[in-house]
Amino acid sequence: MPTPVRINRHGDHDIEIEWDNDQTVVYPSRFLRLNCPCAVCEDEVTGKRIVQDSMLPILTYPTKIESVGRYAIQIYWSDSHSTGLYTWETLWALAAKIDDWKAGLKPS
Amino acid sequence: MPTQEQVQDALREVIDPAFGKDIISLGFVQELKIADGRVALDLQIVRSSEEANESLKQQVERSLQGVEGVEAVAVRLTSNARSSGAPSDQGALPGVANIIPIASGKGGVGKSTVAANLAVALAQTGARVGLLDADVYGPSIPMIMGATEAPERGGRGILPVTCHGVKTISTGFFTKPDQAVVWRGPMLSKMLTDLAHQVEWGELDYLLVDLPPGTGDVQLTLCQQVALTGAVIVTTPQPVAASVAQKAIIMFEQLKTPLLGVIENMSYYESRTTGERELIFGAGGAAAISKKWKIPLLAQIPLATTVRETSDSGRPIVLEDPEAPASKAFVEAAARLAAEIAMKNANAAKPVEINF
Repeated sequence: MPTPVRINRHGDHDIEIEWDNDQTVVYPSRFLRLNCPCAVCEDEVTGKRIVQDSMLPILTYPTKIESVGRYAIQIYWSDSHSTGLYTWETLWALAAKIDDWKAGLKPS
Repeated sequence: MPTQEQVQDALREVIDPAFGKDIISLGFVQELKIADGRVALDLQIVRSSEEANESLKQQVERSLQGVEGVEAVAVRLTSNARSSGAPSDQGALPGVANIIPIASGKGGVGKSTVAANLAVALAQTGARVGLLDADVYGPSIPMIMGATEAPERGGRGILPVTCHGVKTISTGFFTKPDQAVVWRGPMLSKMLTDLAHQVEWGELDYLLVDLPPGTGDVQLTLCQQVALTGAVIVTTPQPVAASVAQKAIIMFEQLKTPLLGVIENMSYYESRTTGERELIFGAGGAAAISKKWKIPLLAQIPLATTVRETSDSGRPIVLEDPEAPASKAFVEAAARLAAEIAMKNANAAKPVEINF
């Protein structure tokens, strides 16, 4: 499991993570908001996503990022949401899903 | 002029006999400076034995003098520990280099006695040490450390009480002896963060945190809101204690808090009259944990009436009877712990840098 070395702003609102395996991943901020791991956004028992794209303001972006212990970050969002702790595991697993999410955005 | 590599290589040949490792790997070399033919460095010491420290210093000097181009060597002994994180780190306490929770799964394994003796043993090496008693329901540190005065206000809030060279704070200082604390979880978390952040610790090399038993609110809050160096697990040899101790280990692993070592308390009882050893709580509990989780076994502390007596009288045994087997085991545990911390901090990955 790699761990992040640096977390930077990419473009206006996106989050770039430099991992210690020399990979750099750019996370679209809306993608991260939609994948918020907190109990309000994800059903704790079934794992089903509760937060839906249509529920968020058109422009939703991070206002602040803080580290939590040595294992996660907490992202404060422009829609006043901040309860999700994004662990290194979660963020690393999400990296593999970015392309699919982007593909789904394009009109088919 | 000697190169950095030449000097490092010479230092790598200096082996600390107590640990069987070289002083560079152990992280004992700080502030290495090379200018022309002069080499200066700070050598961290983890023992109070002047003889052992002086002998190590002489070894360093000899080894460096053998390097081509070295004309003068200046070695300064220091008991200051390297810090585990950046001061700007979220959750870092200003001035506190290392924060070390002392935890156990099960209660009654002697966690507070171990924490108090480790703190005093570390202070005896010249290190600046703090002890935070986070056991809100059953604070025993004031009694064990013999704290009689109440803390005063000052600085950022509260001034710790200095007992036997250790800056001590306990929730017990703020409640009356005949009062019980009957609180729910959220109040516990608040109390702990208040205590950690509002106490004027000053400069500390080590802050030991005596945790209550279990894996609940207090432990979770500490791991999430304070940047910890790593935890020490206390257990007895008894399988029931060792198995519950593993729950604490799993909790720290989940919260990405490193584990610095395991200490086995009440390892054996040595009869005062016959000298015969009796394994009252069985054997092998801590060794099994150490092997399974790859955590160093820092020491095995014997069960002794004097340990109990000194804890109850407010003068930890490492002070009261330094020659007792239990004292020697505590001193050994403190030295090993300091070495583990030095090693970890010298080779640690930096905390994540956030530029957002």
